[in-house]
Formats: sequence, C-alpha cells, structure tokens
Amino acid sequence: MSSLVGFLSLVFAIGINFYLLLSRYIFKFQNQKFNLFIRFSSLLTLLSFFSLMYAYVVSDFSNYNVFQNSHSNKPLIYKISGTWGNHEGSMLLWLSILSIFSFFFSFTKDIEESFQRLTLIIQSLLHILFGLFIVFTSNPFLVNSILVNEGLGLNPILQDPGLAVHPPVLYAGYVGYSIVFSIAVAGLFQNTDNEWLYVAKKWSLISWTFLTGGIALGSYWAYYELGWGGWWFWDPVENISLMPWIAGLALVHSLMMVRGEQAIKKWIVFLSILCFSLSVFGTFLVRSGILTSVHSFAADASRGIFILLIFFIVTGFGFLVFLLKEPKKSNSLNLLFINKVSALVINNILMIIATLTILLGTIYPIIIEVLYNKRISVGGPYFNSTVIPIMIPGFLLMSVAPILSWQTNKINDSKKYVVAFIILCVLVLIQSYFLDFNTWGFVGLLLGCWIILASFIAIFSSYKIKISIKFFKIINPHVAHIGVGIAIIGITCSSVFQNELDFNLSEGDKFNVNGKTVLFEKIETTNEINFQSLRGKFLFDIEKNQSKEIEAGKNYYPVSKMITSEAGILHLWNKDIYFILGDQKNNEWFVKVLINPFVSFIWLGVIIMMCSGLIAVSRR
Amino acid sequence: MNRIFILTPLIVLLIICIFSLVYLLSGKDPNKPPSALLNKDVPIFESSSLYNAKDIIKSKDIENKKTLINFFASWCSPCKIEHPLFFEIRKKYPELYLLGFNHKDPPSDAKKYLEDDGNPYDFVGVDSDGLIALEFGVFGLPETYLINEDGKIIYKFMGPLTMDILKNEIEPLL
Repeated sequence: MSSLVGFLSLVFAIGINFYLLLSRYIFKFQNQKFNLFIRFSSLLTLLSFFSLMYAYVVSDFSNYNVFQNSHSNKPLIYKISGTWGNHEGSMLLWLSILSIFSFFFSFTKDIEESFQRLTLIIQSLLHILFGLFIVFTSNPFLVNSILVNEGLGLNPILQDPGLAVHPPVLYAGYVGYSIVFSIAVAGLFQNTDNEWLYVAKKWSLISWTFLTGGIALGSYWAYYELGWGGWWFWDPVENISLMPWIAGLALVHSLMMVRGEQAIKKWIVFLSILCFSLSVFGTFLVRSGILTSVHSFAADASRGIFILLIFFIVTGFGFLVFLLKEPKKSNSLNLLFINKVSALVINNILMIIATLTILLGTIYPIIIEVLYNKRISVGGPYFNSTVIPIMIPGFLLMSVAPILSWQTNKINDSKKYVVAFIILCVLVLIQSYFLDFNTWGFVGLLLGCWIILASFIAIFSSYKIKISIKFFKIINPHVAHIGVGIAIIGITCSSVFQNELDFNLSEGDKFNVNGKTVLFEKIETTNEINFQSLRGKFLFDIEKNQSKEIEAGKNYYPVSKMITSEAGILHLWNKDIYFILGDQKNNEWFVKVLINPFVSFIWLGVIIMMCSGLIAVSRR
Repeated sequence: MNRIFILTPLIVLLIICIFSLVYLLSGKDPNKPPSALLNKDVPIFESSSLYNAKDIIKSKDIENKKTLINFFASWCSPCKIEHPLFFEIRKKYPELYLLGFNHKDPPSDAKKYLEDDGNPYDFVGVDSDGLIALEFGVFGLPETYLINEDGKIIYKFMGPLTMDILKNEIEPLL
C-alpha cells in the first residue's frame, strides 16, 4: 500500500512540474498560484520519500527494494537509513532534497517575482529529468514478485550512525547547487540588476556548508570504520565530492567580492553552472558503475546512459545559455599588484586549476581504458604531488586577503605581519629541528600557524574587540580562515608525523605505546542483534589509576556474510591512538597501533568553517 | 579569444560525454579488469598430473588444439556450482581439450572432490603454489580461459560459468 502511495505521489509530482514548465508558454497563471503548485509538488515528492521510509520501518518486504536492502532484525536507525543505503532510495532522496530547496526558494522575497518564477521553472526541469530517471530506471516502489518473510539485509559497512547521516547532508550540498545553477541561468535570461547575486550568495553558502559537512562526515567514517588509520584516500568518490567543493569555494568568494563588475559576474555564472555540473557528473560516475567503491551499488549500463544524458542536457544547457546570452558590456577590473580584486582573481585561478587537476586524475583511467583497453589507477601520489602544491600559494594569500584594500596596494600595519612571519618561521624551524625534519611537515605547519596568526593580528589590529553578534559577523571571514589554518595543522601532522607500531601479542601481554604501558587484557566475543562481535580489550596507561579502556576488533554480519573491522580509537586532545586488531596465529594476535597526532584539529577546523559558513548566510 | 574561452566548457563536456558513453556501451565492468593476456600467447607452464607425478603437461602440449583451461579448488564453493557444466561441455564438444588446474589444494582433498563430483577434465594439473595462476593473472577462483589452435587466449571468464555465458559467449568461439 505504502509503495503504491509513494509511486503515485512521485508520478503526480513529476506531472505537476511538467505543467509548471509548460506554464511559461501555454497555461499562464498568477505567481501566487505558481508558488502554491511548486510547494504542492515538493510535498508530494516528500510524501513519496516518506512512504518508502515507512516501508523500510515496518519491514514491508512486498516492496522489492526493501526486500533487497533491509532485514527485520536491524535496529530502527538502520532501517531508516536503509532508505537511502541503496541506489533507488538514494536517488529518491536526491529528488526530495531538490524539492525541499525549491520549496524554500518559493518563499524568497528578496528578488523580483518573474525572476523567482524563472528560477523555479528551471528547478522544475531538473525535477522532471531526475524524476523520470527514477521512474524508468531506478524505481524504488517495485513490487516483490515472491512472497517472503525476511529481507536480504543492508551492507554492514553502511550500518553506522555516521553513515546514516552522511548521504542526506552531502546531498543537501550537491543538490543545493541546483538552486544556484537555476538562479545563474535565470540571471542570464533576464540579465537584470545585481540583486540576484545576493540571493545566489546565500544559497551557495548553504550548499557549500552542507557539502563541507557531508564530506567531513564521510571522511570521519572512513577514518574509524575502514580501519586503515587514514581519513582521506584520494578515492575517486572522494575526488568527486572535492571538485564541487573547491569550485563552490571559489564561487562563494567571488560572490562575496563582487561589486557589480561584469567580468566577475560572468565568472560567477560560469562557476555556478560548473558547481552543479560537477555534482551531476559525480552522481553519474558513481551511479553508472564506472567507478567502484563502497558507493557504487549494482551497476547497470542503462542507468549510466540515462544519467549521462541528464548530465549532458543540464551542463550543455547551462553552458549553451552562457555562450548565447553572456553579459555583453564589460567594465574593466580594478586589478593592482596586491589588492582585494587581484587576490580574488589569483585565488580563483588556483582553485580552478586544482579542480581541473582532480578532474583529470579522476577521468584519466576511463580515457585510457577506452583508448588502450588497459586498466590503470590514479591514486594518492598523483594528487598529493599536484593538488597540494597548487593550493599552497592560495593558502599563503588567504592569510592576508581579508585585510587587503580595494583601491590601493597598501596593507595596513604590514610591518607587524613581516615581523610575525619571521618569528613564526624561526619557531617552526626550531620545532622541526628537534623533531624529525620533514619538508612537507615544515611547510604545512608554517602555513597553518601563519594563517591563524595573521588572522588574529588582523582581528586585533583592524577592529575594536566587542562581544556582540555584529562583531562576530564582521570578523567572520577571519574566523573561517582560522578554521582552515587549524585544519591544515591537523592534516599535516596526522599525515606526515603518523607513527605505526606492530605487535604480536597474547592475552595478558603488556607493551609500550608512546611511553605508556598498555595491557592487552582479553579477547571477548558477544552476540548482538544483527552481528557477532569479536573485541580485543586494551587498557591504556595502566600505571595510572584512571587507565583508559580501548576496544578494537571485528564484526561478523551473518545475514550478508561480511566482516567489518572496528578500530579502537583513544581520542586525546593532541593525538588519536588508533588500535587495529588483526588475525590470530599460534595463539598470538597481530595488533597494529597508529599514533595520529592532531587528527582532532581537522574536525575542529571543519566545524569552525561550517559555523562561519552559516554566519555568512545571515550577513548581507 | 573570449569566444574560445566560453566555448571551452562545451568542448570539454563533449569529450567527457563521448568517452563515458563509449566506456558504458563497450560493456566494461570496473569490477572485472580487462585481462592483459587477452589475444596474447598462452603463458609458458609446466605441471604434473594430480594422479601421477610423472605425467607432465607443458604449454607446448596444447598447441594445435582448442583448449579450455579451468582453475578450480576443492575449497572453492563457486567452483562446485559450475562443475556440472563441464560435463555438458564434454558431451557437446568432445574434441575440445579440457584442462583443469587444481589451485593451492592438498592433493587428497582435490582427489576426493573429483571423486565425489566427477572428473570432467582430460588432464588435471597441479598448481599447488599458485605460480601457474599467477602467470595467467588469475584474480579469484574459479576462472576459465579459452585457448585457440594458435595458442592464443581468446576468452577469459571470472567467476562460475553459467549456461547463459556458455551459450552466448563461449559457444560462438568454438
């Protein structure tokens, strides 16, 4: 029953969007009514989504999708997240989020009615394309042809609280760019005043903040679930999310800087189209099965071709309008050796080069396989040695960019910055001398500390310190950059100064980690609702009264016959101690211990960036 | 100049779409990497029979005849699934030489397996250390290779064979 409701409301919502699309040319009606229709279609799409969720919650195995991806023994949270833990459901989630964005955009009062309407019509077009994709190739409401009492279960690796929220947050980022895309294309058609830029800024900040959160959640999940001790692997799927993120960063900065210059306006339109195109391209690469990863559900060529078509239509349409309707008159940019505009231009060029470098590395294997029928993989070494050096000048620039002037080359209190930089260099050099010297470590630490220091100098020397919301809004750009600095320190330390220790241990053995004695207490096996767990229990720092307990082990999921590794992580403020339990041989267990310094700084930096993104939404 | 700059995204889009489309239509599956050995000479190997250590088969011995090479093991359950199919092949194509390689298996287990489920192979070679499988680029068991009369690998299949695959992909080559 719920499947029927879901399917009908999905089809009905697509029908309404068709009607709205045609309303521009045939059935003309008032704006008020138009907005009501948009909201109604959004609610129908959500109804469809919640019908599917309901089928998951009550374990309705007469729905084929539920049968394939759920199991009645699963805890409730994984029944709910099972809704988007598969291809069909996640595409419906994608469409629902698109609807939510359209829904809220229909309430926007900041822009002309006709402009708002045109934007929503483009949203309707996107809704139709993705809606048809779901109905024809990825229908989550198919009826199960056999009567069953039990489902096949959800991929155990996805049974994790972090991963339950990761897809919705990430999609909110990806799909949020659809609104920015629609606004930009509508801007090309109507070519009116600059009012739409402020609206676009708000929505692109929202999308970017969600995308940041989504990527960080995925990355954090990889850190504690995959059991490799790393948090970023330059996996194609990670690259795909990173591309719209960097392009979105360039977009957000351009939108904040634009003062009506036509050249920057043109650039903003280009970036808006690019961001959403990259999001759709990412969806295509993951869902067509061209790339393999934990994200690629069953591959199906017809799906791939359909999404490729959508990608081609959306991107082609966007760039074609850009080609035909480009803003004509152009006033020159106020470019100086070092002022705000030139810093913005350099920062944008660097970010676009970085995006293209990642794009090349990601699609290169596809091109090579088509041309030479050879399988190659492009991994970490390529990206580390290309993307990072490209970004470094941008990071250096960003430490001073917020205090640059619009009109002149002058930097206020430039002497202070020079002195601070030199002192910092000496300090980091001394620090590096006493620890193992590593070029990347030195550069990363210097860069991270410098960004934080320069931002603080700027805050203290340029503004009067007050504790008020207004003040926080003013210093917000600096706060965002402090977040980046903190994240850079975390990234550098956890990757360059990571320490690995291997042990072969029997129960009751004591061993030394980082100067502290650790006891390998025992091995324990327990039966949970939907899995069996094997845990090695460790006591960290047993000489102290308050020794800390760490559990590392594996879970065995009988329904899907899979084993997942569960790392045991002790979070300290300045390092994570990461335990991995390996195999047993001759009564001894292989235990790997990784010491990851300052890993928590990455997450702290990301949280600061996200908060700052949200504050910027409210600032005009 | 400006025009070219604006046209670039469309050109890039077109290139990406063409390559992706060709990739999709060629039916490539990223889970199954293309074999580097396809359309190349069969690797040189030498293996003794499971039943008689003195009975040796060399790559030279399969020249001038069509050969189906199958890597299997008693511990591999998908191998058990495809096993009956080899009797079908045996019946239908008596002139096809069926060569089985027993992969990383204790001989006693392998013999018991072939006793219980029957032995469809003309020759069962021992690959106890997996070196022959390494030469062939075997990814996982079972894996099946078709070699033509010129000693070239013309077909490779990973995973258990099915009737459909036999009919649609292997029979046209026989």
